[in-house]
Amino acid sequence: MNTVIQNILVFITLGFALWFLWKKYFFKKKTKKACGTDDCGCH
Amino acid sequence: MSKQINIALIGNPNTGKTSVFNALTGLNQKVGNYPGITVEKKEGICKLPRGVKAHIIDLPGTYSLNASSLDENVVIELLLNKNDKDFPDVAVVVSDVENLKRNLLLFTQIKDLEIPAILVINMADRMKYKGISLDIDFLEQELKTKIAVVSTRKKEGIDNLKHLISNYKDISTAPCLNASEIDKDYFDKLRKAFPNQLLYKLWLVITQDVNFGKTDRNEIEAIASFKTKSKSDLKRLQQKETIKRYQFINNTLKKGQTIDVSQAKDLRTKFDRILTHKVWGYLIFFLILLTIFQAIYDWSTVPMDFIDGVFANLSDWVKNTLPAGAFTNLLAEGIISGLGGIVIFIPQIAFLFLFIAILEESGYMSRVVFLMDRIMRRFGLSGKSIVPLISGTACAIPAIMATRNIESWKERLITILVTPFTTCSARLPVYLIIIALVIPEGRFLGLSYQALTLMLLYLLGFGTAVVSAYILNKILKIKSKTFFVVEMPNYKLPLFKNVALTVLEKTKSFVFGAGKIILAISIILWFLASYGPGEQFNNAENIVKTEFASQNLDQEELNQKIASHKLEHSFIGIAGHAIEPVIRPLGYDWKIGIAIVSSFAAREVFVGTLATIYSVGNDDEDTIKNRMAGEVNPILGGPLFNFASGISLLLFYAFAMQCMSTLAIVKKETNSWKWPILQLVIMTAIAYITALIAFQFLK
Repeated sequence: MNTVIQNILVFITLGFALWFLWKKYFFKKKTKKACGTDDCGCH
Repeated sequence: MSKQINIALIGNPNTGKTSVFNALTGLNQKVGNYPGITVEKKEGICKLPRGVKAHIIDLPGTYSLNASSLDENVVIELLLNKNDKDFPDVAVVVSDVENLKRNLLLFTQIKDLEIPAILVINMADRMKYKGISLDIDFLEQELKTKIAVVSTRKKEGIDNLKHLISNYKDISTAPCLNASEIDKDYFDKLRKAFPNQLLYKLWLVITQDVNFGKTDRNEIEAIASFKTKSKSDLKRLQQKETIKRYQFINNTLKKGQTIDVSQAKDLRTKFDRILTHKVWGYLIFFLILLTIFQAIYDWSTVPMDFIDGVFANLSDWVKNTLPAGAFTNLLAEGIISGLGGIVIFIPQIAFLFLFIAILEESGYMSRVVFLMDRIMRRFGLSGKSIVPLISGTACAIPAIMATRNIESWKERLITILVTPFTTCSARLPVYLIIIALVIPEGRFLGLSYQALTLMLLYLLGFGTAVVSAYILNKILKIKSKTFFVVEMPNYKLPLFKNVALTVLEKTKSFVFGAGKIILAISIILWFLASYGPGEQFNNAENIVKTEFASQNLDQEELNQKIASHKLEHSFIGIAGHAIEPVIRPLGYDWKIGIAIVSSFAAREVFVGTLATIYSVGNDDEDTIKNRMAGEVNPILGGPLFNFASGISLLLFYAFAMQCMSTLAIVKKETNSWKWPILQLVIMTAIAYITALIAFQFLK
């Protein structure tokens, strides 16, 4: 039983780690465009 | 409950704006970015008398409201947009008592926007050294404002400033001068075409590439009743406006400011003569660098050994205390070891930033920029390229963003391409651990070999950047012109609070920014090293027992053999063996190969990865350094981290583009994948070839 719980905890932790890295490197957060860039739509 | 006041802190660069911000907000501040762009946004909260709270934005330094860079655009766009949630109720314009004339140009422009503006005259403690005296009442009357004379160094005048801020409604919003006099007819037509708009805002919209509210330049141009002027005419009018402003400022200061040169006790000129001297200047800079690197080593040893020991004990304690199993092993071997690999470098990184902050705060760094410009020119770089190259010692990402103030595209592109060669703080952990393992502890003329090696690596990075720039300047056929302007601030004793905040902020961002990635990668690596496919991994115990049945190994030796067999047939072992043929000529084993691959996310992950891989299945309570020192080269025998493989690794990391985030920012700044891909391929090739040559010669 202890082994099963420990393994479940390992996989949950692994899932969090993978999710974090995916979010960091591949998931682009939508940001409100502000002035200052050519494509901001203001100019 | 009272309303929160919005304050914009505005001023020329080097007026001590950040010192005023720190004095007002203390630790109640946070750093972020403006939405969609990468200009740093510093915000803080200040408690004012009568329980009023003020939200303060420390805007980027700007010389005027005539924007020429992204940083300056941010200032103008905030001041023009009343609908912005950060639009200021009051602008606090910070000026330097020694450069009032130049600083007041921006102040008079802000006054024309009819925003209540308080003038802060900072660095008041320098008045007696320069023989300056001010008639504050007269200045307040002429400039139609309230003035706070402040010395952040001596902590004087801040309470008065807070008092003025809380009473901002009493400040006149009338402009100092009538800018429309530069061309009455033109401004009258403009006023008639847009009767509900503030005239100076319209003028800024016409002359700048910014907008405000619902009015933009195209709309103004589309109105039939108003015809705007040609670009060259507008430029001429802008010049006229600036001259008019300076005439007003000159007249005001003639009566409001007295400078008695005979009372001045100025050391600046004497210092400048030595520190920017074409021989002594470079020698002093070199000696300062030498001292810094020596101090980084000498002062960090004790805290680093302490941290290393604490993590080793913690890992051991977790293993002995928690119930045995996979998750306990993950905590002890993956998470704690991986974190130990980053926390251990806090002392050295803090010391490095401490010295950089002191050099910047004292005004010496600007002299270095000026000094190095003489060299930079010869290599096709702008004097302004020095700023990214020096900031690159912290991190290539903000350094690459800092190239935005280089006007020439060719010089900017070259600076972007070569900046990743400078030794960033992420390389520091890799250098430190490898140097500690392969460079002897002896001393030469009182300087440790290890400190000298570290300095050589910094010089190598800088030298490579400059030489690459020279080559790129010859290869790239892009025509452009540029000029170099640098502000030389006065020398001053660094403020402890400013230095401490910089060190805290930089160290925190290093630990938390990199720490989260390292933690995530450590968890994944531990998993990959602790699980594997097929019979060889799952039946490792039986296979090893059968294989060594005749050798009568004791239980400890047998456990070591099983752990080693499992690691070799784990997911990570299989991947490591697949890349081993490529990295073996450099003197690395498959474990180092995995560390190199994983450190592509961030270079500092290298140490954490090795700490994790070497911990898996290892029950010894030992430090990272000792574990690495104990590794044996499976092919050549002897220590895996010897002089030849160590130098090879140092050179590999000195040249390789091991940073995903830098590639992303290069793509963003150049708006093309061509440059980052070229950068990756060329830098990796240089790294591989130099590491190969070094190992083959030294082995």
